[in-house]
Order: sequence, then C-alpha cells, then structure tokens
Amino acid sequence: MSADVSDLSLVRRVQRGDKGAFDALVLKYQHKLVKLVTRYVRNPAEAEDIAQEAFIKAYRALPQFRGDSAFYTWLYRIAINTAKNAVVSRDRSPVDYDFDRDSIDESYDMQGRLKDSETPEGLVLTDEIRQTVNAAIEQLPEDLRTAIVLRELEGLSYEQIAASMGCPVGTVRSRIFRAREAIDRRLREVFEGGLGRTEELG
Amino acid sequence: MNEELDSQLSAMFDDELPSGECELLARRLSRDDALKARWGRYALIGAVIRAERGVVLQSAVAGRVNAALSHEPQLATGTDGVPLPSAPWVRMLSGVGLAAGVAALSILWLRAHHGGPLLASAPMTVASVAATPVVAGVARRRSSGPDSYVVPPSTPQLMTSMPPTQLADYVVAHSAYSWPISGGSLLSSLMVSEAAVGPPPAAPRRRVVRQAAGHGHATQRPH
Repeated sequence: MSADVSDLSLVRRVQRGDKGAFDALVLKYQHKLVKLVTRYVRNPAEAEDIAQEAFIKAYRALPQFRGDSAFYTWLYRIAINTAKNAVVSRDRSPVDYDFDRDSIDESYDMQGRLKDSETPEGLVLTDEIRQTVNAAIEQLPEDLRTAIVLRELEGLSYEQIAASMGCPVGTVRSRIFRAREAIDRRLREVFEGGLGRTEELG
Repeated sequence: MNEELDSQLSAMFDDELPSGECELLARRLSRDDALKARWGRYALIGAVIRAERGVVLQSAVAGRVNAALSHEPQLATGTDGVPLPSAPWVRMLSGVGLAAGVAALSILWLRAHHGGPLLASAPMTVASVAATPVVAGVARRRSSGPDSYVVPPSTPQLMTSMPPTQLADYVVAHSAYSWPISGGSLLSSLMVSEAAVGPPPAAPRRRVVRQAAGHGHATQRPH
C-alpha cells in the first residue's frame, strides 16, 4: 500500500474545487495539529487559533501542493511556520521544545491551561469523551483492543500488526474496524445524549 | 449505515485502502455529512488513545475552518500540473482540438516535404502553429523552385513514400473525435488536394485505404 493514498485522493478532490474533501482532512488532522502547535504557544485557545490559521493557509496553498511529500508532512511545516510567526509577532518566547511532558504535573499544567480558555461545559464534555473512549477500549475483546492500540498508539501498518498478531491483514482490518465501531457507538451516545451519561455508559 | 462502507472508511482513515477504492470513497466522504462525522470521531478516538491531553477533544477547529473557508472561492488549480476540473464537454473539446491539431500538422508536414496545393490554402495555419520544422521545410521547398500551386512532376514518386491514402486513413480514423470542428474541412481539403493530384477514387474512401494497406503499397495515380 503506497503511503498517503487516502490523503492524496482527498487533496486531489480539493484541488478540483471540492471543499467538502478539505473538511475531511481538517477533521482527520485537527487534533494532531493543535497538539503540535501547543509546543509553541501555552494557551490552548491560541493553539486552536493558530491551527485554524494553518489550515486556511494550507487550503490556499493547496494548488501548489504536488504530492511530493505526504500531505501531513506539508501541513506540519505550514503549522510550524505559522506558530513561529505567531510567537514572533506577539513577542513571546516559545515553550521549551524538548520539555518532558511526563515530568509536568498534568493536573496543574495541562488542565490548568484548559480551564483558562475553555468553557466549563466544554471541559466536562472533553473529560466525558476521554472517559467514554477509555471505558469502551477497556471493554473490547483482547484481539480488538490490541489491534486498535497497535494502530493508533504505535502507528503500525496493517501488515505489521498482522505479523505481530499472527493473523491475515484482512483480519486486522476487520478487528480495527470493529474496535472503532464499538467505541464509536459509545461516543455517539455521548454526543447525542448530552452530558452526564458517562456513568451509565461505563 | 452500510457496514462494508464503514469498514472501507476505517481502512481509508488508516491509509490502508487501495487507491481505486480511495478515490470513490473520498468522493462520497466529501459529500456525506454522516460519513464525515464518523470520520471525525475516528480521529477523536485516535487522539484519546494517544492520550493527547493538551488537546481539547471537543475541538472547534474544524467548524471554524469550514466557516472561514465558506467565503473562499473554490480552488480551480492548474498551476502545479494538476488537471483542471474537466466537465465532459471540456474533455471532448480538448480531444477534438488535439485531433484537429495533429491532423493539420500532418497535412502541413506532408505538403511541406512533398509540395501541394494545400499550402496555398493554409498560410494562416502555418503561422499560428509556428512549428519550426514545418516552416523550415516550406522554406527549403520554396528555395528549390518558384512558388507554384501546381503539383510538380516529381510528386507521384514522392507520394509513393507518403501516400495521401495513409493520410486519409489517419483522418478517417480520427474523424470520430475531430468531426465537430474540423473533420469536414480536413476531409474536404484532403479530397481537394487528391483531386489536384489525380482523379478521385472510384470506390468509397475507406475501401480504397483498405486496398492500399492490403497490397502493402500506395495507390499509384496517373498524372
């Protein structure tokens, strides 16, 4: 399987004037991009602003994207440059690039930052999403959980997962899909049912 | 929701779907809001599994980007070699233009090397095409003798190496693509030029071409 095929097919659609395909690219990479930008700016709300700006710049520059590199690599560079420019223009020092996340007290640092910029409802929903997903993963059968974790956490390809789990690639594809479906069912209940349902779901 | 479709979506999200299926699903994904929402939740699941704690999972980035881009014009590229959006009629006209251009160049090349009356009727075409070899050929041809629209006596021998029937075969074969613009004029030009060389064939054109091809040599015409 050649890398970046799915992104490239979406990119080509955007280049032909299909804005809906760009939505899919934003949905896929928004979390990664915001996380990336938080290396440069402390405030998550500002990180979202910069990520938004980076996506818009990417959209406008997409006619020049030839597909020589992976789309995310290209987007990554745009986001980094946007973040650096934002930091310079606001005369701020970037966060230490090599800081060790694990050494920081998350309850103070990361969540503290969220409280600065997000509404209480948003924070509750974020926590609920996290709890729901984690609870759903815990309840997955072992083979499904292993497959989805190897994919999402370790970033292994289906072929590598198949070799690791000793099963055909088709089985891996099916397991990952079923794992996602099981988690997604819970997530939909959160989104559709509103807040405060985590206990019922867990 | 179709389970097979969702399975494809999951594989596409992981970049594990064959490119042909990707193209089809990308098209559907860009138009189907429910599918797009599912796609977004797959991304969310990944973010949680990777414990991206610094990220607000209920992110508004996608909605804000969508709103901001709603005022942007659609991309219609061509600057990077990416094909422009091609409606069927655009593709048809492109094909027609290409076929007509190739046919015109073939005729001009033939006439430039072997002389012929078509030069008289196509000076504008030569100027517009501005193909150096063709012009050079014309110049050489003209320098070897006086300008004349009369076919020189040596033409039949030259036609043996590049018979007009081959050209006719080419034009007829491409007539399906070129007729809306130039098929009629090209064919009629060809017929006129052949008439100048010799009498028109008695049999239908297609049949003459087949006969010529079947015998492996060009039809000799009296002059």
